[in-house]
Amino acid sequence: MSALMEISGLKKYFKTRAGIVKAVDDISFEIEEGSIMGLVGESGSGKTTVGNMIIGVYRPTSGIIKYKGEDISKFGEKRPKWLRKDIQMVFQNPASSLNPKRTVRQSLALPISIHRPGAPVTKTIYDLMDIVDLPTEFIDRYPDELGGGEKQLVAIARALATEPTFIVLDEPTSALDVSIQGKIINILMKLRKEFGLSYLFITHNLSLMSNVADTVAIMYLGKIKEVARTEEFFRQPLHPYTKLLLSSIPVITDDEERLKPQKIPNIGEISGALHIPKGCSFHPRCPFAWELCEDVDPPLLDLSKGHLCSCHLYSSGSDSSAAQKSQVSE
Amino acid sequence: MDEGAERILEVKNIMVGYKVYEGELKVLREVSFYVLKGEKVGIIGESACGKTTAMKTVMRILPSNSIVWGGQVLYKGKNMLAMSKKDVTSLRKHNLSMIFQDPSSALNPVFKIRQQMYDIIKYSSDERLTKEEIHERAIHYLKEAALPEVERILDSYPFQLSGGMKQRVNIAMSLVSARELLIADEPGTALDVTIEDQIMRLLKTIVEREHISIILITHSLGVVKGFVDRVYVMYAGTIVEVAPTKSLFSNPLHPYTRMLMDSVPRLIGGGVPEGIPGVVPSYLDPPKGCRFITRCPFRMDVCGQSPPDLREIDQGHYVACYLYNEGRS
Repeated sequence: MSALMEISGLKKYFKTRAGIVKAVDDISFEIEEGSIMGLVGESGSGKTTVGNMIIGVYRPTSGIIKYKGEDISKFGEKRPKWLRKDIQMVFQNPASSLNPKRTVRQSLALPISIHRPGAPVTKTIYDLMDIVDLPTEFIDRYPDELGGGEKQLVAIARALATEPTFIVLDEPTSALDVSIQGKIINILMKLRKEFGLSYLFITHNLSLMSNVADTVAIMYLGKIKEVARTEEFFRQPLHPYTKLLLSSIPVITDDEERLKPQKIPNIGEISGALHIPKGCSFHPRCPFAWELCEDVDPPLLDLSKGHLCSCHLYSSGSDSSAAQKSQVSE
Repeated sequence: MDEGAERILEVKNIMVGYKVYEGELKVLREVSFYVLKGEKVGIIGESACGKTTAMKTVMRILPSNSIVWGGQVLYKGKNMLAMSKKDVTSLRKHNLSMIFQDPSSALNPVFKIRQQMYDIIKYSSDERLTKEEIHERAIHYLKEAALPEVERILDSYPFQLSGGMKQRVNIAMSLVSARELLIADEPGTALDVTIEDQIMRLLKTIVEREHISIILITHSLGVVKGFVDRVYVMYAGTIVEVAPTKSLFSNPLHPYTRMLMDSVPRLIGGGVPEGIPGVVPSYLDPPKGCRFITRCPFRMDVCGQSPPDLREIDQGHYVACYLYNEGRS
């Protein structure tokens, strides 16, 4: 498989009156064709900013977003039509991402008429509704007349209307009840298979990622702290922050309880993006931190076949000494 | 939990709804539950299942278009629904309080925490307190909510605090008057998972130390499992199952409970479950019998005729479902 999306050295700084906010600070990752990348982090970690740069809402401060081999960051906010057709987005809250004054038909007709000239509009709308499992009698309803899950299905159908190859999913189910979440996710999984789509799945829900993602990346204050194939990620999480996240998840079965890493002391909160701690940005919350962590930001290193982690526990000297250190502190 | 303990709150068959343009929303249908002294009780269900309406009924803070058709809310044996406003106010001052889901909207954005904290302390005290006493108490409660740098917090506006800090301030405020019963409506839902974990631990420590009873409203099965002694499962304004937490998770009985548990994606992977087909029925014209009938894969003729009663299947484990009526008498 080749990389469909290659992101390298991506940065987005916002100038504010209070100072410069480094929302995304030098991140790199690849998304393979047909795969799902889970981008996980707390609020304020910069994950949505990454999605917004990929979709073209923000122009990156620096860095490259290569899509199908071409650097698309150079277009900034003015993207060519083919690109807008290729990359689509589904937002968190369908109640605000759909125009309340447009019916399902109107919401779906616009992208079809722009990006698929010549296609029979009404028939295409029916097809799209069918694909996302929406009853076709909803076609002339307004968003207000639909349930939360149904609204999100309309938003998904709207993203599909342009026949994209890549979709940024920004917390598509976190505004929905867990009983509805399954249906939406399974439709997204079916669509990926059917149309060979690739997703960047932005979320804070690690349990969900364990079930759907091929690769998981953890973001904290604008930086990637750990990346690994999903199975490896959950079997052997390395970064203390990942361990903290995993051990904080409330679970309902004993099997899950056993998978969780040992409880890490949970202290402090994510800092504001204006005052990112020096060195490793996680050090004020990290129970294993020592002097080095306060001064030097650890590089993101490949520790074993694509399992990347940015932590001094693993970067200073040999693996065994690092493992020992972690043992001692625990 | 000690069976002989006092029932600090007992809600009996409350029927509550709302008057809207289209007619009457019949939300709560004969909802009953109780809380023992020092007990941690969870109420779980999807959005729009009447969890918050039930709590608002208890606090007597229902909006003006609400209708209470019947039932009793007994606080230490006295019916709050029949109480005078003055008596209810007195209860809210000294005995019970509530924490809301969204910490930002629960605080007034234009006043500093100092002003808001002082006001609540003055309000819930019967004697006249000196400035120093008020300040001392404010510091005491903020510290109890594990807030650092309390003086700085007092001088902050809500927007200057993070979501987790705001929720801690809300907890501190509720502790001023919740000396017996605390109602927490999704206290961690709006927060990140690591902060939610901190908040839930804090709440647990406080209520256990102070022997305060708590009702935790949530839609998260995981949070309920780690927190409460006993769980009420609510669906569409009815209680469908009640059980000690352990019993509920090891042996869920009601089809709704089972399907809800199956819907939660597991950390260990294995694919995303389908969830529960359909939606919560409209309260304008809810099903006459079991309200889960529209989504239940096991529905029978009898389910549509009259609502099933809660029956005890195991010790303290009750379920309202006709599937459990036969074979056990």
